[in-house]
Amino acid sequence: MKKISIYRPTTVDEAIQILSVHGTEAGVYAGGTDLLIRLKNRLKQAPTYLVDIKKIDNLRYIKEDPAGGVRIGAATKLAEIADSDLLKQRYPMLVQAVHMISSPELRNVSTLGGDLLQEVWCQYLRGGYACWRNGGYLCYGAIGDNSYYHSAMGGRLCYAVYPGDAAVALIPFDAKAKLATPAGLRELTLEQLVPGDLMVDGRIQSHVVRFNEILTEVVLPPPQPGVRASFEKLRPRGVWDFAMASLALSLQVRDNTIEDARVVFGGIAGKPLRERAVENFLKGKTLSAELGGRATAIALANAAPLKYNSTKIDMAKGLLASGLAKLNPPAPV
Amino acid sequence: MQTIQGILFEPVGCLAEFSPEPFLEIAARLSLPGPAGRRLAGRKKKASKSASRSYWHALNLMEASGCDAIEAAAIETIEMQAVESAAIYEDVIPALAELKAMDIRLTIASSLSSAAVGRFLERSSLLHFDGVWNRDNSGGIKAAPLRSALAGIRLEPCRVMFLTDTAEGLKVAESAGVNSILMMNDPDESRRLAMLNPAGGIVSLHELPDFIRLLRSRAQPSI
Repeated sequence: MKKISIYRPTTVDEAIQILSVHGTEAGVYAGGTDLLIRLKNRLKQAPTYLVDIKKIDNLRYIKEDPAGGVRIGAATKLAEIADSDLLKQRYPMLVQAVHMISSPELRNVSTLGGDLLQEVWCQYLRGGYACWRNGGYLCYGAIGDNSYYHSAMGGRLCYAVYPGDAAVALIPFDAKAKLATPAGLRELTLEQLVPGDLMVDGRIQSHVVRFNEILTEVVLPPPQPGVRASFEKLRPRGVWDFAMASLALSLQVRDNTIEDARVVFGGIAGKPLRERAVENFLKGKTLSAELGGRATAIALANAAPLKYNSTKIDMAKGLLASGLAKLNPPAPV
Repeated sequence: MQTIQGILFEPVGCLAEFSPEPFLEIAARLSLPGPAGRRLAGRKKKASKSASRSYWHALNLMEASGCDAIEAAAIETIEMQAVESAAIYEDVIPALAELKAMDIRLTIASSLSSAAVGRFLERSSLLHFDGVWNRDNSGGIKAAPLRSALAGIRLEPCRVMFLTDTAEGLKVAESAGVNSILMMNDPDESRRLAMLNPAGGIVSLHELPDFIRLLRSRAQPSI
């Protein structure tokens, strides 16, 4: 592992100053479950200067918003989210999703910000191959074993999937992210925060956060009345693994009619994939046993699987059908 | 890799889907008698299904046999048939237009004949190229069109890419000093070719503008 220096700022402004001085050589260090492994794997893009934000005490909280929503500090542990009574009561689907992230041990260390902004877990990148994200100019996942951690919806140079679950689960709630930048606070939707492979500061990354910016908070708006939501995840192992396909589904239902819908797939594309064609199809429809089959017929029309991962599309469609069935409870006898 | 200012294209395998049969026919015509011919032409028991591999195999035979004027005319006729049945890849025109807008010099550097390249460009309505080099105006095949193209666009080889999907193409790019970029059309073949250390690789031409942008972006310091 290369030699590193650690800074321990006590304010966000101080952290931004340090990050600005070192440029892309520096990186934010919170839980470390992604960052330290990148260092251990000797990846070229792993930072030399770690800016430990754990000493900044106003980044770790779950609190009720005066407007009825909930604010979660970016350094809040995933285990704290999974155990939060407030979140269980307001956003049970988010809690359900967080429970499926990794293992209890890692959830005790990992932070919400780290989960949202984590590096992809392509085995070629993590194995030190000189790919697009590691100083090279070729995606080994596109031509190698792409059965688990690569996109079935096309790519842009890098074909790894966005690995996080929290973003997939937060998008249906129209959650917003707050970024502290040298120019002040910036607010983005979760979709804007993780739009998939893009070039930022000479690097390919899944999120828009620049080298001198820090994700500080996620804001969940008040839950909508009549919302039914579910999160499902298929993975190679029962626990401690990334999604081969996942689905966060949220339906706003009145008198069994869907007034609004959010359909977000994870594990199949370079970003949390909001399937607007299905959302539009579902709006105005009556929940029924046949709805799943009709929705899956129009879902993921732009699928572009690689050689070994077309099964991901079948999995995602299966999750959509089972999710819709789950949110349509049988009528009482 | 340095910031790229020019790209050289060989139509076969990079701009259009060609059928392998015409190139196999050329190879069959050029197959030499005796051990040398068997070494060049008869190594494979089965004919290649890849047009690019068949094409580069035919070029090797052309290089070894040094065909006369009558043979050259016959080869050109077969190449014209290959061009007539070629189908341009759907991502080519938008990618070339975007690259042109980025001020990248685009040049054809092909070992096909002048007539075949001309007909290919006419059929595919590709008007984006700053220069067109073929085996007739460059005086040779394989590396010769690349060298002529480099002289024509007056760029350092390290600032130029050559797209290819064969081992022969990678070798030719290396010999001309340009960056060899693997077109990863077939995953299994590409996995094998990736072992030959190309400078880079793309799955689709629509990635080329992003490739160039990334190189530009990496050349700029973040602070």
